[in-house]
Amino acid sequence: MRSIVVGLGNPVLSDDAVGLRIVEQLRRELGDESDTDTAAICCGGLHLLDAIAGYDRAVLIDAMVTPGAQPGRIHTSSLAALRETRNSGSAHDTSLAVALELGRMAGLRVPAEVRIWAIEAADVETFGERLTPEVERAAPEVVKQVMQALSEGRR
Amino acid sequence: MKRISINPVTRLEGHGNIEIFLDAEGNVANTYFQVPELRGFERFCVGRPAEDMPVITNRICGVCPEAHHMASTKALDALFGVEPPPAAQKIRELLYMAFFVVDHATHFYALGGPDFIVGPDAPPAERNILGVMRKVGGDTARAVIDCRARNHEAIRMLGGRGINPCAGVPGGWSKAVSRQERTALAATAAANVEFALFTLQVFDSVVLGNDAYRAMLHSEAFEQRTYYMGTVDQRNRLNVYDGVIRVVDPEGCEFARYRAAEYLEHVAEHVEPWTYLKFPFLKKVGWKGFAEGAGSGVYCATPLARLNVADGMATPRAQEQYERMFEAFGRKKAGGRYAPVHHRLATHWARLIELLYAAERMAELANDEEITCPDVRRIPERVTGEGIGSVEAPRGTLIHHYRTDERGVLTGVNLIVGTTNNHAPIAMSIGKAAREFIRAGRVVEEGMLNRIEMALRLYDPCLSCATHALPGCMPLVVRIRDAAGAELRCIRRSEA
Repeated sequence: MRSIVVGLGNPVLSDDAVGLRIVEQLRRELGDESDTDTAAICCGGLHLLDAIAGYDRAVLIDAMVTPGAQPGRIHTSSLAALRETRNSGSAHDTSLAVALELGRMAGLRVPAEVRIWAIEAADVETFGERLTPEVERAAPEVVKQVMQALSEGRR
Repeated sequence: MKRISINPVTRLEGHGNIEIFLDAEGNVANTYFQVPELRGFERFCVGRPAEDMPVITNRICGVCPEAHHMASTKALDALFGVEPPPAAQKIRELLYMAFFVVDHATHFYALGGPDFIVGPDAPPAERNILGVMRKVGGDTARAVIDCRARNHEAIRMLGGRGINPCAGVPGGWSKAVSRQERTALAATAAANVEFALFTLQVFDSVVLGNDAYRAMLHSEAFEQRTYYMGTVDQRNRLNVYDGVIRVVDPEGCEFARYRAAEYLEHVAEHVEPWTYLKFPFLKKVGWKGFAEGAGSGVYCATPLARLNVADGMATPRAQEQYERMFEAFGRKKAGGRYAPVHHRLATHWARLIELLYAAERMAELANDEEITCPDVRRIPERVTGEGIGSVEAPRGTLIHHYRTDERGVLTGVNLIVGTTNNHAPIAMSIGKAAREFIRAGRVVEEGMLNRIEMALRLYDPCLSCATHALPGCMPLVVRIRDAAGAELRCIRRSEA
């Protein structure tokens, strides 16, 4: 089974970079010999489809903004839930669910399993290279959870 | 005053918010278009070495990083007072053409096309790229994905990294092109020309071949007479990578022609209390409010605007299509050029003509022997203290302006991004569409709101130059309020 872990975000937009930081840490933990690939990309939709096409399983890690929610809170979700909400990624092209359906329509092999970790952000509107403290603190827990999920998948 | 709010708009970058204010009779009084602004970019840059800018600014936005990379690299040429060798110029332009092909193709199939191909009154859940593919055939899905893939590969090959290239340096390019690479790029360009011609055929059969859509294209509700801005070469033909900025008046007469470095003499920015957005206008005409005509400094900078300012296209097939479009709108050639087309929905058509131009230009560059010349950089030897660079981004003229100290450390940054140019025209187009469809308190139906969104979408606006937050919650919420701001009615629909 081929897996890929994708961190999504803007590296210079404060908490929006959290997915990129986490995937960087995961890359180190997984090491060079791992059968799991990693990618850090800046946009969703069709770009994301390009990144995950050809894999059996994809893990996506991104920042999330929910009005009134506690920064640093970790949300997990699946593709099934995504299909219902039809959300994610760059609104400039299309949602991930639509992108995946497009991939199938085009005859691409798209992952059967897509799992999502999203970290509630405090600030995604100020240019900066630092995460806010609550979000910074949540990152190691996401690394742990994703590593565990990947090892369960291998068994 | 009643207020209708459409928030947010589907299928746009960033979180737009359209507010429609009604008067006591239920007619549209004003339309406002608000977006949250990303903060602190200038502060973030000041104190950094200027040569970091091409890789920092290409992170501003997930949609047009290549445009920022190129404008930034050109600003550095000026800042360090160094002219890149010809091969470097050609490599930059070649990469830029690959980017234009991807960006314009994506807009047509994923964003603008659904309104025409699936229909403006179709439910939002169907008005997307899948609906387009169902209508035009599943093979097209593969063609679009292949188009994106081969051009991203070209960008990676030329720029050192896909999506966010990193090869631009002051005085040139950090990587030469091998003969083998040139062969591959020529094949990519040839496939792009076929793809562009195919896409124009789709537009012909699905849009121009449909009476209702053709009527919409010619509809007065989407007409707007303003000044137009775009970049042209020495012979006044469109050039999106380099040239001089030309402005024509609503009749099509040349109003201004200047180098990017002179932009501050020609463009100023107006501020309104209800939005963070700035509204650029022509300084020599002046800000006269959100008004059309030669007396108002409002200008538009889009694919249609670029075709309106140019005397023609620099490639043969794009030139044929260009003439076809202007003649379809009944424009006659006078003094070597066509009078402008003011029907803003024609921007979608103009975008496809630019797609073909970019593909043809890419083929010219990829077949040019000089592009494999290993001399791709001149080493800068001085710092001038100021540099301005511009390109035509897919969404309009993009300007990067940097100031530095004598060491080349940034002391000031100003960017005018493509969409910014069009803030006033966007607000005006939304107002015009709203007035056409909302009258005397008549119930606002989904289809009407869609058409107001269409007025916005034709500009392909990049609202915040932000990327994304996942999974997010972006339902469409419409609120109608009375004069005191109390909510009279709330209509919701789910996100497409």
